[in-house]
Amino acid sequence: MEIMHAVNAALHRTRLKAAALLFMLSLALVAVLYTLLVLNHDPNLVSLTERLLPMSLGHPLGTDHLGRDVLTRLLLGAQQTVGYGLLALLIAVVVGVPIGIWAGIKGGLIDRIMMRIADSFLSFPDTIVAIVLSGLLGAGIENLLLAIVVVKWVSYARLARSTVISEREKDYILMARINGLRTGRIMRKHLLPHVIGHVVVLASLDLGKIILLISSLSYIGLGAQPPAPEWGAMLNDARPYFQSNPTLMIYPGLMIVLVVLVSNLLGDYCRDKFDVTKEVQS
Amino acid sequence: MSVLEVSHIYKKYGHGADVLQDVSFTMEKKQCLGLVGESGCGKSTLARCLLHIEPIDQGSILFENTPLHNKSQRSLRPYRRHIQAVLQNPSAALNPKLKIIDSLLDPYRQFGGQAKLNHFHYTSARNFASQLLEAVELPASLAERYPHELSGGQKQRVTIARAISIEPAILILDEPTSSLDVLSQASVLRLLNGLREQLGTSYLFISHDLSGVYAMSQRIMVMQGGKIVDHFEKEELLASDRHPYTQELIAMFE
Amino acid sequence: MTVLSVKQLSIAGPQNGVVHQISFDIQQGEWFALVGQSGSGKSMTASAIGQLLPPNMKATGEIWCGGRNLLSLPPGEMREIRGKRVSYIFQDYQGSFTPFHTIGQHFEEVQRTHLTLSKAERRQQANSALISVGLQEEMYDRYPAQLSGGQLQRASIAIALLLRPDLLIADEPTTALDSMSSFRVLELLAKLQQDTGCAILFITHDLRHVRKYADRIAVMKDGHIIETDAAQQVLHQPQQSFTRLLIHSSFSFGNLNPLPSAGE
Repeated sequence: MEIMHAVNAALHRTRLKAAALLFMLSLALVAVLYTLLVLNHDPNLVSLTERLLPMSLGHPLGTDHLGRDVLTRLLLGAQQTVGYGLLALLIAVVVGVPIGIWAGIKGGLIDRIMMRIADSFLSFPDTIVAIVLSGLLGAGIENLLLAIVVVKWVSYARLARSTVISEREKDYILMARINGLRTGRIMRKHLLPHVIGHVVVLASLDLGKIILLISSLSYIGLGAQPPAPEWGAMLNDARPYFQSNPTLMIYPGLMIVLVVLVSNLLGDYCRDKFDVTKEVQS
Repeated sequence: MSVLEVSHIYKKYGHGADVLQDVSFTMEKKQCLGLVGESGCGKSTLARCLLHIEPIDQGSILFENTPLHNKSQRSLRPYRRHIQAVLQNPSAALNPKLKIIDSLLDPYRQFGGQAKLNHFHYTSARNFASQLLEAVELPASLAERYPHELSGGQKQRVTIARAISIEPAILILDEPTSSLDVLSQASVLRLLNGLREQLGTSYLFISHDLSGVYAMSQRIMVMQGGKIVDHFEKEELLASDRHPYTQELIAMFE
Repeated sequence: MTVLSVKQLSIAGPQNGVVHQISFDIQQGEWFALVGQSGSGKSMTASAIGQLLPPNMKATGEIWCGGRNLLSLPPGEMREIRGKRVSYIFQDYQGSFTPFHTIGQHFEEVQRTHLTLSKAERRQQANSALISVGLQEEMYDRYPAQLSGGQLQRASIAIALLLRPDLLIADEPTTALDSMSSFRVLELLAKLQQDTGCAILFITHDLRHVRKYADRIAVMKDGHIIETDAAQQVLHQPQQSFTRLLIHSSFSFGNLNPLPSAGE
């Protein structure tokens, strides 16, 4: 993660952020189009005659130990890894943020109960809870998703709650009450805009972490099951061939790094976008 | 004709001393009632009680003969459109994440159907906002700005526009000029005075500045230690039978 | 005798200047008021005198005090001057006190830095200083949060005058107070000025706060001093239209024309 921050800072300094983001997205688009329209390989088709082939026009990144096209699997892996990562994140936000705003605005007993529950989740490291939960529920990507949501909603609830608490005593909330706005409307109209900026920043940083979590749990066999083309699982599959075909491990590893980097860039972009007070300063 | 009748209200926080002690007064229609006092005398607590942000311990508050003090927050809601407020700090009273137009239209969007407007006419959000901004002598282009792009005086004008947008019967002005510089102070007071005459709103003008209260009000109350110690017509300010504390205040402003 | 002499002072930030070549003198025992709107550069001028400008602001020109140019003094000597010859009180009285030190500890800090007194003498001096600003001796052991705004501003005046400075720079000391507390603080300052003979540079946006006390008034606008004269002259025969606008806006019972129009 430190490297991410360093790269991120460098990009920020050179004002290349937007360009970098655009470049990576267009690269991804080209790769996707090429793979789907030109190559059209079946990602799970085992062909022992085509094992461990080097780069060629038909297999731009070669084939793996079962003769499957690496590029096709990498791209479909994006769908698995990034898609499930986003889904887990979305559920965590949708569950956590309203609970946090509600606890913050109500205060009192409701707040205390919610936050003690949240604290008890926070007292264990994410990875351990996720491993234990998906271990208990059984291996498989759905259970892994559930485990990630359970681990992650807490930080969104806490973030929303602390933002609400710092805002709720301000005069504009008082004015909203004087104007007869219902609690739900105050939450939606006056508090959500404050929370959303913080949430988007935290979420974009979390996306990287969640992708790493999905990949690492798949790597140890708890997440995506073979033959699903998930990057962590691909890393695991490629382990025995590291000496002879190191690229089999390097490609999925590189993809993880790139996606985490992009999610961080996206986070910075969103933070600037959501901070209306910053516009005049720049 | 009275629009708000406050009788014998008491208020304290927790087990502390009384912040308000036996406060009674009536607000007349279309008039400005001034309330002067030092910081900590209870005048802002009184404002919060009249706005039903704080419950009172004893006494009664009658709005056009309807008691409000014993109503639940839910059943109070329809009455909130009659009693609006402008607070001391305009920067805090506007949500920094909302455009001016959205803050302006908050009360109308809440009470829209019920408010029978005489001076403003709602055709579209943009048009309504322009009417309001024009009423407080601001350019209509400010509607699309954010609060941090406006000066303190402009922000206070926006909160005034918001408060009058549903043409309330009563406007509670809690130190509306104290956080502004001298030039804005005078022009905001002048604006408020004009709006009162134009819209027929009753004002409760709360301030520590006797000269401002004197300029704005028809009647003046003086508050000290949670009690109203003096209550008189504006013309009687310099009468010889004023309360000693009032005389002390007058001496400060000469 | 001149206590402070500002000559051709300019202050500039990274992009633009905020004060342009202003000059004024303050005489011994004089109440000199610097009046202007926010952003006119009056507070920056006050900060420049004590080398208290923010790091990105740069002052040029000369500020003479006690035969030395304050702008070219090394920081060590400036600290000496700041305690003994020139002291400050600010608008933000709460920010002037460390919240977890008692009022007494704030006295101690100044006394131990600049004076050589025994513990009993220090306590004695602090007590009489507190009484001189109308506070009880008990305040010595109180924390800042236990005092009201007016009381805190009085305490800060007591500390500022402890070392008998030649010049007290009062940067909007009454702006954050209600008008009754500010009246009492102003009366106190006037009394202490008579007792100690120190000069006061009083910075404010509100003419009402100085009309009774100031000997001379300088009106500042957009970084320039547009008018300097004896107080009565400025108040009754202002030369500049901006000064007239300021006077017109600061209504009181004196002018029974209650709501001035700002358009003039």
